[in-house]
Amino acid sequence: MKKYWQSIEEYKDILKSESHPEPDPKREPLPEFSVEGLSEEEKSGNHSRRDFLKMLGFTVGYAALANSCEMPVRKAIPYLHQPEEIVPGIANYYASTFFDGHDYNSILVKTREGRPIKIEGNELSSITRGGTQARVQASVLSLYDIARLQSPLKDNSTSSWEVIDREVPAQLEKLAAEGKKIVLLSTTVISPSTRSVINEFIEKYPTTAWVVYDTASASAMLTANEANFGVKAIPSYRFDNADLIVGFNADFQGNWLSPVEFTKQYVKGRDLLHGQETMSKHIQYESYLSLTGSNADYRVSIKPSEEGIILLNLHNEIAKSSGAATYKVAASPVEIKSLAKELLKNKGKSLVVSGTNDPGIQTTVNAINYLLGNYGQTIDLNTPSFLRQGTDNEMEKLVDEMHKGQVGALLFYNVNPLYDYPDADKFLAGMKKTELTVSFSDRLDETASKVGYVCPDNHYLESWNDAEPKKNYFSMVQPAIQKIFDTRQVQGTLLTWTGSDPDFLEYMQRYWETNIFPMQESTVSFIKFWNKSVHDGVFEIPAGPVEQPEFKTVGLKAASNGSSGKLELVLYEKIAIGTGKHANNPWLQELPDTITTATWDNYVCVPPKYAEEHELQDEDVVSINGSVELPVLIQPGQASGTIAIAVGYGRTSAGKVGDGIGKNVFHLMDKKNGLRKFGGTFVRLEKTEKTYPLARTQVHHTMEHRAIVRETTLTEFLKNPKSGNEMHANVAKQNLTLYSIPEFDGYHWGMAVNLNACIGCANCVISCQAENNVAVIGKEEVKNRRIMHWMRIDRYYSEDADNPEVTRIPVMCQHCDNAPCENVCPVAATPHSNEGLNQMAYNRCIGTRYCMNNCPYKVRRFNWYEYTDNPEFPYNFDNEQEKLVLNPDVTVRSRGVVEKCSLCVQRIQEKKLEAKREGRPLREGEIKMACQQSCPGNAIIFGDMNDPDSEISKVLENPRTYQLLEQIHTLPSVNYITKIRNKDPNEKHRNYEGYMGYYSDYYKDGDEVHE
Amino acid sequence: MLIFLRSSLLKSFSTKIISSFIIFIFFTGINLQAQDDGKKLFQICSACHSIGKGKLIGPDLKGVTERLDRDWLASFINNSQAVVQSGDEYAVKVFQEYNSIPMPPNNYSDEQMNILLDYIENFDKAPKPVETVAVAEAPEVEGEYVFMEETAYPFANLRISFIISAIIIALSLIDLFITKIVKTRFIHILIILISGAIITEVIVTEAISSGRATYYEPDQPIQFSHKIHAGDNLIDCNYCHFTVDESKYAGIPPVQLCMNCHNLIKEGPYTGKEEIAKIYASLETGMPIQWVKVYYLPDHVYFSHAQHVAVGKLECEECHGDLTSVDRVQQIGDLSMGWCIECHRIKAVQFIDNDFYSRYTKLHEELRSGDINQVTVSNIGGDDCQKCHY
Repeated sequence: MKKYWQSIEEYKDILKSESHPEPDPKREPLPEFSVEGLSEEEKSGNHSRRDFLKMLGFTVGYAALANSCEMPVRKAIPYLHQPEEIVPGIANYYASTFFDGHDYNSILVKTREGRPIKIEGNELSSITRGGTQARVQASVLSLYDIARLQSPLKDNSTSSWEVIDREVPAQLEKLAAEGKKIVLLSTTVISPSTRSVINEFIEKYPTTAWVVYDTASASAMLTANEANFGVKAIPSYRFDNADLIVGFNADFQGNWLSPVEFTKQYVKGRDLLHGQETMSKHIQYESYLSLTGSNADYRVSIKPSEEGIILLNLHNEIAKSSGAATYKVAASPVEIKSLAKELLKNKGKSLVVSGTNDPGIQTTVNAINYLLGNYGQTIDLNTPSFLRQGTDNEMEKLVDEMHKGQVGALLFYNVNPLYDYPDADKFLAGMKKTELTVSFSDRLDETASKVGYVCPDNHYLESWNDAEPKKNYFSMVQPAIQKIFDTRQVQGTLLTWTGSDPDFLEYMQRYWETNIFPMQESTVSFIKFWNKSVHDGVFEIPAGPVEQPEFKTVGLKAASNGSSGKLELVLYEKIAIGTGKHANNPWLQELPDTITTATWDNYVCVPPKYAEEHELQDEDVVSINGSVELPVLIQPGQASGTIAIAVGYGRTSAGKVGDGIGKNVFHLMDKKNGLRKFGGTFVRLEKTEKTYPLARTQVHHTMEHRAIVRETTLTEFLKNPKSGNEMHANVAKQNLTLYSIPEFDGYHWGMAVNLNACIGCANCVISCQAENNVAVIGKEEVKNRRIMHWMRIDRYYSEDADNPEVTRIPVMCQHCDNAPCENVCPVAATPHSNEGLNQMAYNRCIGTRYCMNNCPYKVRRFNWYEYTDNPEFPYNFDNEQEKLVLNPDVTVRSRGVVEKCSLCVQRIQEKKLEAKREGRPLREGEIKMACQQSCPGNAIIFGDMNDPDSEISKVLENPRTYQLLEQIHTLPSVNYITKIRNKDPNEKHRNYEGYMGYYSDYYKDGDEVHE
Repeated sequence: MLIFLRSSLLKSFSTKIISSFIIFIFFTGINLQAQDDGKKLFQICSACHSIGKGKLIGPDLKGVTERLDRDWLASFINNSQAVVQSGDEYAVKVFQEYNSIPMPPNNYSDEQMNILLDYIENFDKAPKPVETVAVAEAPEVEGEYVFMEETAYPFANLRISFIISAIIIALSLIDLFITKIVKTRFIHILIILISGAIITEVIVTEAISSGRATYYEPDQPIQFSHKIHAGDNLIDCNYCHFTVDESKYAGIPPVQLCMNCHNLIKEGPYTGKEEIAKIYASLETGMPIQWVKVYYLPDHVYFSHAQHVAVGKLECEECHGDLTSVDRVQQIGDLSMGWCIECHRIKAVQFIDNDFYSRYTKLHEELRSGDINQVTVSNIGGDDCQKCHY
């Protein structure tokens, strides 16, 4: 029987329980909340009579005071001129595009009364297809960030655009006349109009060099493709066309290149819900447990130094069978013959990717894919992706030139090298030798605080722009709000400095009219074409099948494995914080990491074996190379001989939320041969005497080993679709009740989560937070198990702690038709609606928390404090500006009440009203939950269970569908669909009968349910 | 923390009035059907014309059907400019007399035209607009700003009872321990208990009403009169509150909308130029008018005008009282939850007419079989918490 566990402690329990079958009765219950900082009296929970009288007196006094106070006079202030498109109370949606130099997403911006409050996916985009990722969801909060600059700065003091527009161009002209180099240092720019503006700027100041610097660089891919194909580009991938996906340190579902696009494709190739009977197989070779690795069917832990050797061995195996040249290489540390065989079986239907920034590895990957005939099938070089354009050696060259004093001016656009460049000190020293330094940063970040002029850029939601993430796939950025502060778009600033008309919108229209409009013939009038493009947010010209560029063989070589015994460091990006650009976003800081479930920190992930050998425990502080001290987190799946640390932390100048969270580790990056590599630095680890607490949510809200996740394998599934879910039928048989089964006339809402499509990217959690005004509570309170998220993604490990299988399950309120919480509320604050919703009336709740105790799913959250306007919680609820992001249709909860997922009742009500006004029944798929709308895996299904034709009704018939803890007869409205792994069921240690946890013995066929 | 008890404990008299008022409306509503169509058609006209209330942007239409031929009127109403340009003497005269402002063309069918002209012709014979029971007859004094009648504070008596009871308790205590005039202690205790009960009752009543503001009637920055606009000049409510059918907010008109009429009407009958000048001042300074909100619902209540007006087909006056007869707006009803629920329990839903409800098969069956004769809001979940609280 498969055992699932959430933490290493639990794993040890399981190992113990295998020798003693009974769960340890003495196992101390996990504390309900932290008792740190409480007085003895409070700890014991005894209040004296005097306390009672004090409280009574206070209550009466407060009531008397509240009664005697006059009601405030409230104003109703109408518009002077009401804009035609704005109806107060009704949301407008504008198509736009998110691109921050790292992630691309076509989006819809929901605005209410002219202010953006929510990001949704744009379904018209064939790239991101209506999906988003957590960082994109959270970007709407960054618009209102109080750390944003409100005016331009000169020498760190407030200045004006007039002064800047007078002084900077004059200096630029002087430098250009002197022949001194002007450098525009930017992140990847995918906007064709902006590129054109920059080219005009270069024309005006001919000594300008444009250097592209990507924090998460794909430089090696660019150079490898140039060597192999003569195209310095990143190809498009088609994960949906691949039957076998092999990833090498490429977190393509989380951070690598275009994760939303890849996830949509990946899930399509593995969708077994709509009649398809095949699914792709995914094998991941990686050093740390990434989001992608956790979803792989097979996962192999490797050291970064071994990757090149393994790949070259794999190449040789494949080359042997096709008679191509083989290269000399050390023996592979892992078995690859069977992988090679399988790849050869799937010629033209496989895909090998590597995320390592190493040209040797990338050329090997290219050669493998070429030998497998994947070009033109799963890889398309004719539709190159423009999402990474930086070449690392250009940046190295620049730093050298700066050091030699050859650079006269430095313009920083969307880059922050003083934070994320590995040798920031050297960069700073070079900067000091530069005469003119200008930053376009929206905040006084690490770099901007050291430059002469800061010309703050607009937020993307205040800007016009365009984007070309892939060749001939255009998308629009349109402002959803008038700019809030005295900022100016970079393009406008550059145009001003070149002496042109600074109106970038007009510039863009001109550019589109001359360059993009002629690409199509269907629309004759440009204005119509423009309006349609702005309306849709995208304009795409899909390329037909074209011959791929010719492959040129280059000699392959793998760096010898010189690591023997040395500890290798892997840096990685977390799903929320990424490279740290959005570190001041409290939503992202508090989002539990999808693997480690930690919030508000970075830490050293060490493999369990290493921890055991070196007597390390969670939260012990270790020093890395004697330079950085970080707490330890024992991470199952971490490759032995490696440790992993997340980048993006340790900001010093991001804003009040992001500053001082975690440690900056960019300086530990491998920088051999001028290439910035995330993995492979050799480090020393020393244990210190200190400890540092981490706020992890993995054992919060635990369901105590009950049968939560159900899974099976493809082979078993094809034999018997019920496999893994045998328990469902048994429970249905045994669920007898004296009471009548609740019935619902009209509508009966239901939801289903497809565990096979959920990749655990946590986009839904942030989407829900934005939609439902969920509070951020800070690290201390998270530690106290009080995290407020209405949905959590439970992560379970199973099997071996060194390389576990990972299963995830998003859990939100299950809206039980027979809800245990409803019966115990003494004030009837949580009754059942006539549409099957478990309602929560905040204004009625008196905070007994009986419901929380009685909820078997632990989905209810209590407001322990007033999180609004409380300086103790200095996040987005404590200032008027950031409160603008709140959804006006959802009540902000106050202290002392319980809250939970409402099944986005405001969305249901909105669409119901729309249908009623139009006098028609609701259409299937019309109502979309916040978590469902932008799910990159399409894992969430919502609909009316009373409608026999709805998708949810069909799902209910599906033999894979089950409900959480169905044996306790709560009749949840939320259903789950079993996870299916494309794995050989006969392997050692792998038993894929449905898992029933400690209570498994109770659920064998025909047995009675004891619960 | 205060716990607000359901107002079923205390049936405030205003709720009773409102419910009887609603029933009243329900019955009178049926007779007004034909008149209603004309009224609706006239809504568009009412922006510029009055019937018997004098000139606005366009002429007073009282007796226009007697003055002019119906066919001529029909052609003029549907395309006034064509008639003017054809050189029709009377049309040109009217056009010039009213500052050469063209009347926008309409597209009425013959039938609609007849209904409209009938409405204008029979306007004076139409039944008087319904008046609320809650509001006393507004005094018909010309040239004076009319307020909703000051109603006595309903709990004034309660306050007196509170003080009297407190005094009685104090006296009994004094007598019980000091003066000892009454020998039987039982009487003291009885008096104290009764007075205590009264005091408790008063406290509970007051506590329930705390935070509620029935009869709230604040001064507004402009002495805007609903009577003049909606009553005398018959401007439809939706003309100014134009988002009432689609949004949760009925919408307070933007100043720009006022200017549709006040471009020309610069002087009011009662307040002269002073009040109307505030509109121009607002436009000039760019500062919107800061109206004082009368009907206020706390943030945890989601109330949608569109749901009630567009779907539920409620008339404005059912909740706001008859504003055509008063100048200043006063809060009618206490806006308590009981007040809302009361209505949800008696009000019938447009169940058969609206296809949205076709999915409620069971209720339809019950209606057909005659088990129930109407479907109230409560029957389809109108009492559920999350219809209003989310």
